[in-house]
Amino acid sequence: MEKNQRTGNPLSRRVFRELRDEWRKYAVIFVFLTATIAFVAGMYVANNSMLTEAGQAREKYLREDGHFELSEPADPELLAAIESGERADLLEYYTEQAHREIDEILPGEVEAAVTEEVTAAVSAQAEEAIRAQAREQGQALGLTGQALEELEQAAVDENLEAAEAELLPGALEQAMESEEYEEALEAARETAYADAEQEIDEAYRRAAERYRLDDPDFEPVPVTVYPFFYRDLDEDHDHDGVRDGGIRVYQEPKDVNLYCLMDGKGPESEDEILIDRMHADNAGIRVGDIISVGSADFRVCGLAAFSNYSTLYERNTDVMFDALTFDVAVLTEEGYARLRGAQRYAYAWRYRTASADEIAEKQMSDYFLEALITQTAAAENELEDFVPGYANMAITFAPDDMGSDKAMGGVILDILIVVLAFIFAITISSTIAREAPVIGTLRASGYTRGELLRHYMSMPVLVTLISAVAGNLLGYTVFKKIVVAMYYNSYSLPAYTTVWTPDAFVKTTVIPVILMLAVNLLVISRKLRLSPLRFLRRDLKTTRRKKAVRLPSWQFIRRFRMRIFLQNLPNYLVLLIGILFVMVMLAMAVGLPDTLSWYQGKVPEMMFARHQVILTASEDENGDPITTGNPDAEAFCMTSLLRRSESRDESVSVYGISEGSRYMPLDRETGAGEVWVSAAFAGKFRTRPGDTILLEEKYENRSYRFTVAGICDYDAAVAVFLSRESFNRTFDRDPVDFSGYFSNEEIRDIDETYIASEITEEDLTKISRQLDHSMGAYMLYFQYLCGLLAAVLIYLLTKIIIEKNESAISMVKILGYTDREIAGLYLVTTTLAVLASEAVSLVLAKQVMNVAWRAVLERMDGWFPFVISGGGMVKMLLMVFAAYLVIMLLDFRRIRRIPMDRALKDAE
Amino acid sequence: MSEQEKKFLEVVDLRKGFGEGDTRQEVLRGMDFTVAKGEFCVLLGPSGSGKSTLLNIIGGIDRCDGGYISIGGEKLADLNEKTLTMYRRKHLGYVFQLYNLIPNLNVKENIEVGAYLSDHPLEIDDLLRTLGLYEHRYKLPNQLSGGQQQRVSIGRAIVKNPDILLCDEPTGALDYTTSKEILKLIEDINRKYGNTVIMVTHNAAIRRMADHVIRLRDGRVLQEEHNDSRISATELDW
Repeated sequence: MEKNQRTGNPLSRRVFRELRDEWRKYAVIFVFLTATIAFVAGMYVANNSMLTEAGQAREKYLREDGHFELSEPADPELLAAIESGERADLLEYYTEQAHREIDEILPGEVEAAVTEEVTAAVSAQAEEAIRAQAREQGQALGLTGQALEELEQAAVDENLEAAEAELLPGALEQAMESEEYEEALEAARETAYADAEQEIDEAYRRAAERYRLDDPDFEPVPVTVYPFFYRDLDEDHDHDGVRDGGIRVYQEPKDVNLYCLMDGKGPESEDEILIDRMHADNAGIRVGDIISVGSADFRVCGLAAFSNYSTLYERNTDVMFDALTFDVAVLTEEGYARLRGAQRYAYAWRYRTASADEIAEKQMSDYFLEALITQTAAAENELEDFVPGYANMAITFAPDDMGSDKAMGGVILDILIVVLAFIFAITISSTIAREAPVIGTLRASGYTRGELLRHYMSMPVLVTLISAVAGNLLGYTVFKKIVVAMYYNSYSLPAYTTVWTPDAFVKTTVIPVILMLAVNLLVISRKLRLSPLRFLRRDLKTTRRKKAVRLPSWQFIRRFRMRIFLQNLPNYLVLLIGILFVMVMLAMAVGLPDTLSWYQGKVPEMMFARHQVILTASEDENGDPITTGNPDAEAFCMTSLLRRSESRDESVSVYGISEGSRYMPLDRETGAGEVWVSAAFAGKFRTRPGDTILLEEKYENRSYRFTVAGICDYDAAVAVFLSRESFNRTFDRDPVDFSGYFSNEEIRDIDETYIASEITEEDLTKISRQLDHSMGAYMLYFQYLCGLLAAVLIYLLTKIIIEKNESAISMVKILGYTDREIAGLYLVTTTLAVLASEAVSLVLAKQVMNVAWRAVLERMDGWFPFVISGGGMVKMLLMVFAAYLVIMLLDFRRIRRIPMDRALKDAE
Repeated sequence: MSEQEKKFLEVVDLRKGFGEGDTRQEVLRGMDFTVAKGEFCVLLGPSGSGKSTLLNIIGGIDRCDGGYISIGGEKLADLNEKTLTMYRRKHLGYVFQLYNLIPNLNVKENIEVGAYLSDHPLEIDDLLRTLGLYEHRYKLPNQLSGGQQQRVSIGRAIVKNPDILLCDEPTGALDYTTSKEILKLIEDINRKYGNTVIMVTHNAAIRRMADHVIRLRDGRVLQEEHNDSRISATELDW
C-alpha cells in the first residue's frame, strides 16, 4: 500500500500550465526581454570583437604610441636626442646660451664705451693743446679778449679733427691693452653673467615645476621616432570647384600607422590615392573615382581603415569627429610631391618597450614629454603639438565610445530587467492574494515557506532564462551584425574577427537572472512571511489602516474613482515608475534630434562673422602688418588655454575683441583681469559673474586668473572674451598685435601663405552633423521602440489592476452597472493615473537627461545644453498616451469578459 | 492501548484570546481533554464556541496564550516555526470547508501535492479508488462537483498517511447526500488507515458516528462523551 519513493514536486507542473494559460502576457514579456537581451548580447559580442581588434592594432598595424609636431623639421642630431628619451640639461643649455650671447655682445659694448671715453679724453687733450698754441701765437700778435678767443676757436675748428686722428689710434691701442680695460671687461662680464643666471634660474625653476623637469623619479623612455609629415588640403570630390571638406594627406606609411585595406589596393603611382573608408561611404566616393586634393587630381585606388584614425578627428581638441567633411589619405612619395601647401612636421613615436597598461603608458608619456620639451628647446626648435596615444581622440574615441555604449546598453538592460522583475513580482503578489487559501492549506499541510517561495519564483526566473537563451542566440547571430553595421556607420574600423567572451553571457544571462531573482525574492518572500492562518483567512494586509481615508463630499462616482485609486495605489506607483522609465528613454530619443536641430539652428547666430580668418602671423616677411582692404574686416586676437580640473583639462578659446566690435559686441569693455565667458563656458562649468577662473598655458608654465565680468550669449564654444588691448597686455604682446579677421564679406586680398585656417559654419556644426548622422536615424526607431515599450509596460500593469479588481467589477455588474459605466469607473481612474504619471515623468525625465547629458559632455571638449522642444514634449506625451489608448481598448474588452459569477465564486 | 496512546492528544488548560485592552475577547478559556490514538473525535459547538480556533492550535497554525497541547508526548509550544512546519508536514492532514484545491492541477496532481510531503505516501491510485475518483483523476477541479472536490481535498490530506486528520467543517459547503458520502469516506479512512480524526462541526447529528464527542461553548468544554456504539455515516440523518 505504501511506497517508499518520494514524488517530484507537483507544484512545478503548474508553472508550465500557467505559461500556457497566460501565454499572451508571458509572450509579451518574452518578446521584449528577448529583443533587449539580443540587442545587448549583440552589442557585447560586436564590441568585444571590435575592442579586441583595437587592442591588437598597436602590434598588428604598428600603430603609434603618440605623435608630436615641431615648427621646423628635426635634424638627425635632434631626432637621435629625442629617441634616446634623455632630458637635455636645459639649465646648462640656457646658461651656456646666455654666456655665449654675453660673450658675443659684451666685448663690443665695452669697447664702444672705452672708445667713447678715450675719444672724449683725446679730444679734450688735443683741443687744449691747440688752444694753448693759438693763444701763444695770438698774444704774440697782441690780440686780446674777443679777438684772441676767436683765434683759439678757429684753430680748434681747423686742427682738432686732424689732431684727434693722429692721437686717437695710439690712445685707443694703449687703452685696450691696459690692465684697467681687462678688469672693466671682466667686471662687466661677471655682472652680466650673474644677472642672466639669476633670470635663467627663475625661469627654469618655473618651467621645472610646471613640467617636472627636476623630477627625481624621471626615467628615460627610449622611443623610435618616425617622420610622419602631412599636408591639410581641400578636398573636392564632386568636381564643382567648391571645397567639399578637408583632407589630411600622408605619404604611404611603411613602418608605423599602417592601414587595413577595406576595398581596392594601396597607391602605386603618383596619381593614385587611398582614402578613408568611412569618409568615402559618407561622401559617396567609390574606388576608381577621381577627387581633387588641393590643386591636383587623384584616382581613388582603395579604401582603408587607418589604424591611427579609427575616428576621424581633425584636431584632437575638436568637440566631435567629422567623417562627413574630413578625410585622411595616403599617396606614394611621388604623388605626395605633387601637392602644394604648408607641410606639417609631425613625428609619430613608438616606445621601444610597450607599456604594460594605461597607467604605465601615461607615466612613460610624461617622461617622454619632459625629454621632448628639453630636447626641442635645446635644439632651438619649437614643440607645437604633443598627443600621446592614450589621449588621442582619433584612436581612443571609438573604443571608449563602444565601451560606454556597452556600459549604457548594460545599464538599460539592468533597468529594464528590474522594471520587468517588479512587474513579475506584482503579478505574483496578485496571484498569491488570489491563491491565499490554497497557500494557507499548503502551509497548514506542511509545505515550507521556502518551497512555496521557490515555486512562485520559478516563473520569472524561467521566463528570464528562456528569454536569455533566445536573446543570446539572436544576439550572437542577427543582432551582432546590426550592431557591427551601426559601428561601421560611425567609425573607420578595420575588419574584425568575432571573439566570444564570457562577459556577454554574464551580462545578458547571469545578471538578468540574478536581478530577477533578487527583486522577486525581496517582494515574494515578504508576501509569504504571513502565517498559514492569515492566508486561510485571506488576511494579507501587512499594514492595518485604522481608519478609512475620508474623502470630501464629492459626487459618488468621483469618490468611487478615488477609492479605486487609493486601493490600487501600489500598482499605480509601479505604473508611474514604468512610465518614468519609458519617458527617460523617450526624452533621449526625442531630445537628441531636438538638441541637434536647436544647435544647428543657432549656428548662424553663433558665428561671429560669416568668415573668420586666422593668420599665421600679424606681420609679413618684411615686418609690415598683414592688412586687408576689405572694409568689413575687423581684427581680433585669439589663443587657446586650458582650464584644468581633476577629471579632465578643457581647451578654452580666448578672444581679444576690438573696441566697439560689430561682430562680438561686449556689453561693456573688460577691465584689467576681467573676461566675459561664453554661455557654453558658463553652462559647462556653472560659472556666474563675479567668479574667478584660472586658465593655463598648455606647454608653458603660465597661468592667468580672470574675474568673470559677465556671460555672453554664445553657445558655439567654450570661450572667454576680453578687449584686444587687454588681451595683448595680458599675453605680453604688442599693443597692435592680432591673430586674424572677422568679416561678413570674403577676404580675398591676403596671401594664402599667411592664412592658417578659416573657421566656417561647417566647423561649428561638425558635432551636430556627426551626431545626427551617427544617431539620427536610430533615434526615430528608438522612439517607436519606446512607444512599444510603453504599450508593453502599461498592458502588463493595467492587466494586474483589472485582475485584482475582478471580484469588485463582477459585483458591480451583478448590481446592474453596464460595462460602459464600469469602464467609466475603472478605466477613467487608470487614464487619469496615466496622464498624471506622464506629466510627472516628463518633468523628471528632462531632469534625468540633463544630468546624463552633462555627464556625457563633461568627457569631451565643448558644451551645449540638452533641449527638448515643446513639440518634442507633446510628442512624448502623445506617444505614451497613444500606447495607453490601444491598451485601454484591450482592458475594456477584458472588463466586458469578466463573468458575474466571479464575485459569487470568490464569496464561496 | 497504552497510557501514551490513550493520551495521544492532550489539551491542558488551553487559553487563547484576540484583540487588546477593552476589545480583547477570550475565545478559549481553559480547555482540558485528551484524545486517544486512532479515535474519531468530533468537536461540536455553535459559532463562536472556539472550535475552529482550537483546531487551528492543534494543527500548529495558531498559537495559544496559555496552557499547552501535546501530541504523542511532544508539546507544540516548545516547537519553533521551522520544527512546527515539519511537525505539520509529518503528522497532520488538513481538510477545510472550502476545498482550496490548486485550480490548474488535475485531481491526481492535487493529491500528489500532499504525497510530496511524505517519505512514505500512500499508493495514489489505490487512494483514488478509495476516494471514488479514479475515473476523474485527470480532471481539473473546476470540472468536479463540490463533493468530488472535497474528496480530492481529503485525498490530499490523507495521502501522506498523517497521524491526525484535522477536518474543519468538511461538509459545511455540501448538500445532505454529498455530506453523508464525505462523512462515510472519512469514516472509512479512519477505519482503514487508523488515523486519529478530529472533526469540527456544528452539526450535532454527526456526533453519533464519533468515538469521542467534545461539546464546546464559550471557549470551554461543556461536555465530553465517549460513544461505544458509533454508527456508520450512512445511517446518519439530520
